[in-house]
Amino acid sequence: MIMNRRSLMTTALTLGAMKAFPGLSFAQARPLVFATFTGSWEEAHKAVLVPAFRKANADAAMVLDPMLSVDQIAKVNAAKANPPIDVMLHDPGPALVAIGQDLVEPYPVEKSASYKDLIAEAQEPMGPAPFFQVVGLTYNPEAVKTPPTSWADLWKPEFKGRVGITNLNSTLGTGWLVEIAKMRGGSEANVDPGFKALEELKPNLAAVAANPGALATLFQQGQIDISPGNFNAIQILKARGVPVEFVAPKEGAIAFKTTIHIVKNSPNRELAFKLIEAALTPEVQTTLMNPPYLIVPTNSKVTMGGEIARVLAKDTAELKQKFVFQDWKKINEQRSAWIERFNREIKI
Amino acid sequence: MGAAPASRDVTTYGMGLAVPLALFFLVFFVAPLLQLLWLSLHNDTAGLHWGLGQYLHFLTDPFSLGVLGSTLLLGAEVTAVCLVLGFPIAWLYQRVGPRLQTIIILIVLLPLLTSVVVRTFAWIVILGRQGIINATLQSLGIIDTPLKLLYTQFGVVLALAQVQMPLMTLPLITALGRIDPNLDDASCSLGAGSWRTFFRIVLPLSLPGVIAGCTLTYAAAITAFITQSLIGGGQMLFMPMYLYQQASTLQNWPFASAISIIFLLAVLAVVSVFTTLGRMSRGYGGA
Repeated sequence: MIMNRRSLMTTALTLGAMKAFPGLSFAQARPLVFATFTGSWEEAHKAVLVPAFRKANADAAMVLDPMLSVDQIAKVNAAKANPPIDVMLHDPGPALVAIGQDLVEPYPVEKSASYKDLIAEAQEPMGPAPFFQVVGLTYNPEAVKTPPTSWADLWKPEFKGRVGITNLNSTLGTGWLVEIAKMRGGSEANVDPGFKALEELKPNLAAVAANPGALATLFQQGQIDISPGNFNAIQILKARGVPVEFVAPKEGAIAFKTTIHIVKNSPNRELAFKLIEAALTPEVQTTLMNPPYLIVPTNSKVTMGGEIARVLAKDTAELKQKFVFQDWKKINEQRSAWIERFNREIKI
Repeated sequence: MGAAPASRDVTTYGMGLAVPLALFFLVFFVAPLLQLLWLSLHNDTAGLHWGLGQYLHFLTDPFSLGVLGSTLLLGAEVTAVCLVLGFPIAWLYQRVGPRLQTIIILIVLLPLLTSVVVRTFAWIVILGRQGIINATLQSLGIIDTPLKLLYTQFGVVLALAQVQMPLMTLPLITALGRIDPNLDDASCSLGAGSWRTFFRIVLPLSLPGVIAGCTLTYAAAITAFITQSLIGGGQMLFMPMYLYQQASTLQNWPFASAISIIFLLAVLAVVSVFTTLGRMSRGYGGA
């Protein structure tokens, strides 16, 4: 074979193009793509959900492509006719954005075996919630001897300079502010009382973290002793030996629905449905509820056990009683104004 | 040489070799930048109505201008710290034996070999309430209650200065290496003291390196999203975080685009000041 510059160039370009646009080589059929979240979510889904799905569907090929909700929305938006993702996972805020931008299909509820078993709050026709995320009070048991019981405890003078919160970029930060507003007579439409309460919290504030993940570091470094926190994030810290405990405040723990959606125009619609079905089954949800995952189930047929039964709820009835769900449609309407106000007012 | 073709002009160079990178830049840098500009010229998030609303919003809002100002100031502070701390190291490098030179260059480069995230987390450990600084001061009895170092401007400047230090030191080492050591001796033998030699000879001749180092450090410091948000926290808002908030959390892409364009222009302005200083210094150095 004669190797000249031209043939070398052509080969290089072809190889490069195949690398840059893998779609070229198999444009016809691609495996099912599930955009889960990064970190512990990816681990849990790789270990439990994917094997369950493949077992039930003759080893169908599928790919986990973990990314943030916002990136999922951006990617699907960029190629609406031929989306690179088949199944999306979302927090309540982004879920409404995705639905609003017409990126997801209604879930075929009548075909689903498990949908009717989900507790009422998880039954979302545009994409059901296979898991809940729960936000409550997190504290360091070595520094805080009497466990807190209410959000109001954050304002106690004994926690001067020991409280951590996050800004409103995160679902956690925004949801928490709404809950504080509600505690003081506000609502999803009126968070003024929440901002007033934040003003009063300032002497106690040791840190306003840029994201919930940073709160974990602050606990580890002894920078803060008490903060609102995500149940699952705390379990990961605990497993690493950091002294932290989680309690559901008496006002109710804030529950966020993590919803799962079939992307509109997905070439793998049927498999996407099957994957979501797998995520809704009591078997998968039970496995994910057990250590090390401790993900809060939404299927009422799952018997609560372990840490979840101990600190959150023993059964669905108690769960409904102890969890508060928020109206994210209302929250989304004003969220940007709140973020702006938070930027301006909260300086410590 | 007679073999060379007569038509070839040795004073011009073929641009062919630059084509691949130029194309790459055109497709993956210039085109997205134009898209960004296009998007920033819309008044609504869907990108349907043309207008300068986003720019007006930013430029008439004291809060947004404050964020821009504090970001540019942060860059200046970090650059100043890097220059003051980095110059002696670069100077020392030119005056020690080869073995020490290897050690110095290793120490300078070492931070570049670890990820920014790791280095930043190390600073959290150092600056925290129970961190190294507070623990030391407390055990020495200098302070009773821990100082607040994390989530302060001081902490951000300190951490950024360490993280970006190689960008300052390396150009300085190169620039100082180009200065003929005989000039020092000549200056001294003509009666100038060490300080005078430094200010009249070494500093002017090293200015190109100083300018290059300052430009690099400045640009890196103001855009260092990770270090700014991990050490500065959620209530110290700098431009990268402001941008992220608008683009990612609020999906307000036109405003986010306008923020990026304004930020880009502001940085270009600062960099061109550096470059102008550099051009002037060339004249000064030659005088």
